Amino acid sequence: MLGKRPWKMAAGAAAIALLAAGCTGGGSDDSEDSADSVVIGIVEPQHLVPSNTTETAGSQVLASLYYPLVTFDAKKQPVETAAESITSDDNKVWTVKLKPGFTFHNGEPVTADNYIDAWNYGAYAPNGQGGSYFYSRIDGFVDLQAKDPDGEEGPQKAPAPKAKTLTGLKKVDDTTFTVTLSAPFAGWKAVMGYNSFYPLPKAAFSAPGVLAEGFEDAPVGNGPFKMKGKWEHDSEIKVERYADFKGTAPKVNGITWKIYQDQQAQYADLVAGNVDVQTQIPLESLASASGDLGDRLQRSPNSSFQFVGFPTFLKEFQNRDVRRAISMAIDREEMTKQIFLDSETPATSFVSPVVTGYRPNSCGEFCVHDPAKAKQLYTKAGGPSEIRITYNTDGPHKAWVDAMCNQLKAALGVNCIGVGEPKFSDMLTKVKAREPVGLIRLAWVMDYPLMESYLGPLYSTTGSSNYYGYSSTAFDNLLAQGSAARTPQEAIKKWQQAEDILADDMPVIPLRFGQNVYGFSDRVANVSVDLFRKVDIYKIELVAGK
Amino acid sequence: MRDPGVVTGVAGPAPAADRPRGLAGDAWRDLRRSRTFWIAAVLVALFLVMAAFPALFTPADPRACTLDRQYDGPSGTAFFGYDFQGCDTYARTVYGARNSITVGILATLIAGVIGLVVGLAAGYLGGWADAVLSRVVDVVLGIPFLLGAIVLARRLSQNASDDGVLAVVLTLGLLGWTTAARVVRSSVISAKNQDYVAAARMLGAGPARLMMRHILPNSVAPFIVVLTVLLGANIATEATLSFLGIGLQGDAISWGIAINESGRFVRSAAAPLVWPSVFLALTVLAVIMLGDAIRDAFDPKLR
Repeated sequence: MLGKRPWKMAAGAAAIALLAAGCTGGGSDDSEDSADSVVIGIVEPQHLVPSNTTETAGSQVLASLYYPLVTFDAKKQPVETAAESITSDDNKVWTVKLKPGFTFHNGEPVTADNYIDAWNYGAYAPNGQGGSYFYSRIDGFVDLQAKDPDGEEGPQKAPAPKAKTLTGLKKVDDTTFTVTLSAPFAGWKAVMGYNSFYPLPKAAFSAPGVLAEGFEDAPVGNGPFKMKGKWEHDSEIKVERYADFKGTAPKVNGITWKIYQDQQAQYADLVAGNVDVQTQIPLESLASASGDLGDRLQRSPNSSFQFVGFPTFLKEFQNRDVRRAISMAIDREEMTKQIFLDSETPATSFVSPVVTGYRPNSCGEFCVHDPAKAKQLYTKAGGPSEIRITYNTDGPHKAWVDAMCNQLKAALGVNCIGVGEPKFSDMLTKVKAREPVGLIRLAWVMDYPLMESYLGPLYSTTGSSNYYGYSSTAFDNLLAQGSAARTPQEAIKKWQQAEDILADDMPVIPLRFGQNVYGFSDRVANVSVDLFRKVDIYKIELVAGK
Repeated sequence: MRDPGVVTGVAGPAPAADRPRGLAGDAWRDLRRSRTFWIAAVLVALFLVMAAFPALFTPADPRACTLDRQYDGPSGTAFFGYDFQGCDTYARTVYGARNSITVGILATLIAGVIGLVVGLAAGYLGGWADAVLSRVVDVVLGIPFLLGAIVLARRLSQNASDDGVLAVVLTLGLLGWTTAARVVRSSVISAKNQDYVAAARMLGAGPARLMMRHILPNSVAPFIVVLTVLLGANIATEATLSFLGIGLQGDAISWGIAINESGRFVRSAAAPLVWPSVFLALTVLAVIMLGDAIRDAFDPKLR
């Protein structure tokens, strides 16, 4: 009988290992080298070039490296920070005056040229910057674009655009420049708070209009923190205080942006004290989080909006009654209560309650749970017998996607499968390749506190995050009319009409509005997470003696 | 089932005295008296029936889940209560047997066939064929199993739109045959040098007859044992792969997936994690016990 025991032991051990693997914390290395810096968890940023950063993680890191022209007060009104003043008489020509004395981390003074060069780079279509959408209001933007004669997929290359610089950007003197818009826009000052409007130092360019290689791995900014070392992909980004910074001084000497692929592992690190701030507690840990963290678990409103989109190339969803029926089959209340433990609220509008112009239930009857009516409509419209929902597994989505699938199965009598992709970009790659992904899981955090931020980027034909390819001339027109309106009230009226078109068309299904449910370690205090889901890096401080 | 302690009466073995018992007959006689064998066999049979006809065990639909029963306690036919999504834990555990066991058996068959062919060829032919085949075995054995499985499973499941059973089966089969090949090779080498093989050869037996009639039957015992161990290991590995998210995909139900999903919510409810784990552990244990008993019976020298 000798020699057979080890096998049994191995089998038993394998079963135990499976159980134990559920709670691996991830042996983090010691980050004790800088005791006066804080560790904040993020996911891997896609880019760290200001004009190419459109997601929260990159935006969060850039917020520590750059100082914006404006920031937002408690009433969501823009107030000048890096700018001395931003003025306009006609909402068309805006004069930006910079505060003097600011320098980049490499010692270069910050001048009007730095803004103009950076924005020109971002707007020039061949550079392929994800945030170029933000410059589209500036006069001359169309001349920096080039229409690909046979579409993006075609073999022919797009011709070079007519111009390389925006005619709307004019330098007045070293600290003053003007921005001329192609049409008046009352909300322009707020738009300039977004990270696409950060300046770039001369050192960022190897030649005029050519970004220096490797700049992205160690961006040089004008903000309170500078890079310490390089961006260590999938691991961490370290920043330390920039001594010559003239703006609002932060209270910590450095920040380590620690990159996680698994939110559960991050939570385990938070409880163990290896990470100081987690901006979103994973769903699975919500039930136990108040016990784990006590009053270090907090909530604040945010601007996030969770929804699923229908890629327009999928034939089976082209009938809008199919889309409406799917929306009506979803019980949003039940989902937010049972899955999210009320950490999110049901969304029955396309814009978030945090912006002026929000109307409850703008989606109307199609966002009201009514399984019987949904089934009737779905059958009549000939909806597909199988629905797929594609989501990224590096976010906490599986639980609610499965729950939504179960709701669709029960209400519509269809088969429903949740398909996980490792990263969000993997999902987008599949969408671009026109694979049968089914519904795609998406979310949005506003760029500036205007209703338009929930409409333009997501649904306009040229929108930067219009991944599903929605296009409506009526919508585009109303959006443009709203943006051109003289007063905010007029603008909101037009934008609300545009939102009504969405409610009618249902290119996406609104699901939930978010809250920041964040936790922090006992080393830090004054932690606040803003509407943009970013930690306020100017307020956070270390607790003495910890 | 007979009381294993009681030796069979006169009526049983009497006719057998005329004819000498073969290897299999001998083994069966031993097995019948082994308590381990019977326990393992009953368990294995139970799980096989569960895999083939899950509806016999539960009338519930494992895919009918509604959030309003989230974490509800045991009731009616839902002996183990409900999980986070409001699915019947018992039904999902029962239905999970099919994928887990199918993957285990198919992967073991693939590994067994490859291992047997390679081992026989290497052992019997010897010379350069042995050298080449043994190096191939070394190379495959040199691939770290989990790493190889992750790469292979992801690669294979990329094109598949199914639930990933085929990808997992191929992954486990293609990576798991090496031990079988080595065992078969070594026992073939030791068998082919036996006197009775030499005798058969001198009497004019060809290679095919030698292999099928004399060498294979005498080297099959360790092979069977390796396969049963591999079967248990494969079932556990499917769970590992599914746990890592690269195994079965979509809405497939398996013990590995159940363990993966409920592990995250273990602090809210433990039952959806515990039961699939118990079923998994029992199956693996039963198969391995069965393998042990069979080996003991076939190879009395090892006792």
